[in-house]
Amino acid sequence: MQLINSIKSEWLKTRKSAASWLCLIGGLFIPLIFLIGFLYNGETLSTYGEVENVWTAHFFQVWQSMVVFLLPMGLILATSLITQMEFRNNTWKQLHTTPQPYYVIFWAKFIVIIGMTLQFFFYFNLGFLLSGIIPSLVVDKQLPDATFPYSQFFTSNWKIFVTCLPVLALQFLISLRFKNFLVPIGVGLMLLVATLILVGNWEHVYLSPFSYSPLTMMGTPETMKDINIYNWSCYYFITFMVISYLMYIRKAEKG
Amino acid sequence: MYSITTNNLTYRFNGKETVLSDINLQVPTGSIYGFLGPNGAGKTTTLRLILGLLKKQDGEINIFNQPFEKNRIDILRKTGSLIESPSLYAHLSAKENLAILQKVYQCKHSRIEEVLKIVGLENTGKKSTGKFSLGMKQRLSIAIALMHEPELLILDEPTNGLDPNGIIEMRELLKQLNKDLGMTILVSSHLLAEIEKMVTHVGIINKGKLIFQGTMGELHEAQHQQSFMCFETGNVEKSKEVLKTNGIQFQQEGSQLHMPVLERELIASINKQLVEQDIKVYQISIVKNDLESIFIDLVK
Repeated sequence: MQLINSIKSEWLKTRKSAASWLCLIGGLFIPLIFLIGFLYNGETLSTYGEVENVWTAHFFQVWQSMVVFLLPMGLILATSLITQMEFRNNTWKQLHTTPQPYYVIFWAKFIVIIGMTLQFFFYFNLGFLLSGIIPSLVVDKQLPDATFPYSQFFTSNWKIFVTCLPVLALQFLISLRFKNFLVPIGVGLMLLVATLILVGNWEHVYLSPFSYSPLTMMGTPETMKDINIYNWSCYYFITFMVISYLMYIRKAEKG
Repeated sequence: MYSITTNNLTYRFNGKETVLSDINLQVPTGSIYGFLGPNGAGKTTTLRLILGLLKKQDGEINIFNQPFEKNRIDILRKTGSLIESPSLYAHLSAKENLAILQKVYQCKHSRIEEVLKIVGLENTGKKSTGKFSLGMKQRLSIAIALMHEPELLILDEPTNGLDPNGIIEMRELLKQLNKDLGMTILVSSHLLAEIEKMVTHVGIINKGKLIFQGTMGELHEAQHQQSFMCFETGNVEKSKEVLKTNGIQFQQEGSQLHMPVLERELIASINKQLVEQDIKVYQISIVKNDLESIFIDLVK
């Protein structure tokens, strides 16, 4: 119960925050570009031509534009913004003098970050659906003919979400540790850019926690055929969370 | 009965520089305890240790007669605090800031309006706290500290940034909370004048050491003991002879002679002797040190 109250309290803090706007705008941005493109050219999903399923083709097209750079960058920014909110407003001391166990404070904060990520996924998928449906309604005056691949839709979303976890955990760790907002942003972006440079050129790129989202869409090369990037995502996620928690609990100065 | 006691509380920064040394604080239940000291004396460090914001190194902290570390949650449920500068979410309004605390404390939603009214911020509407003046932020921080109707209020320099009217209002508010709700209040300040009209007890800290602790009455007693008499005459040397013949210890300060406060009859007698010896008497007075001077003397 205490955890639920704490989550509600943490969720209130995200209202009107930069992170919540980032989540909304970031989630709808790419689908909106596709929607405008379709409407401008008077096209529909049928523009994908002779494919097995136009929805699947559209799904991969939209996600591909997102996962390589925008999604990890959004995760870096949103996680840092939410976690650093306490440093920025000088509110750690207020939070730590409320009658809540430290583990509740820690997990409530992280669960809210997960919640924001899910919210982003919701906006993105809503945008994806609308970017497929609206052009068909406008141009063809009917819904797309193709059957919607529900199973693939949910499985792919789940897989992409799993690949986000190590990035969220790492950014959470750095944002809890450093007071300066530029540190988590700088470290995150540096690792992301380095990973993107290495992603097609280094057989051990899977060692980078930032590589899993791009690899989901780009596909794992032959040299990594024995590597399960989803397992690696989970290992990194657990490791980073354990380190974060120990670091947070043992911090001598709590505000 | 004490709401807060610390035993030999000692704290070192980086394990080396001692910032607090054997602090034995005793805050009686129901009191308004003024915790005084110049900037950098160790007031904030003491309060942060009491609230668990700093990890305790040596000594003991008991709040409501319970060790803090083992009873942190229970103690914080009954404690409101404001440490240093206000802690507010700048992008949210006053009500939204209070709603965050309302969720944690699980108090009634109507409490938000109540505390806003107490601190006079009920008409701030949707204005984000980032646009508040420092005084408004300070008052909202007090509202946050009062949100769960605590038994103990710990305030670190709550009048910082307030104008003279704001200081008076804050003083009245704290007195009222103490009187009406029986709230124990520990309030720190670096200005004695700011809190002397409000506190019942006082602790003075300097360079990490508690150099005075007692009631305001005891501080006034110290003030009385530091009062002295001053004689100013036309002939200092002859006046000294008169005082010596009467067996009075004195000190010369320029053209004045200072001594402990004398009995009324003795003062009259010495005055008569001086006049009889044709010494002009310009001034016979009792100099009372104000509390501020005593405070400054103590922390020198």
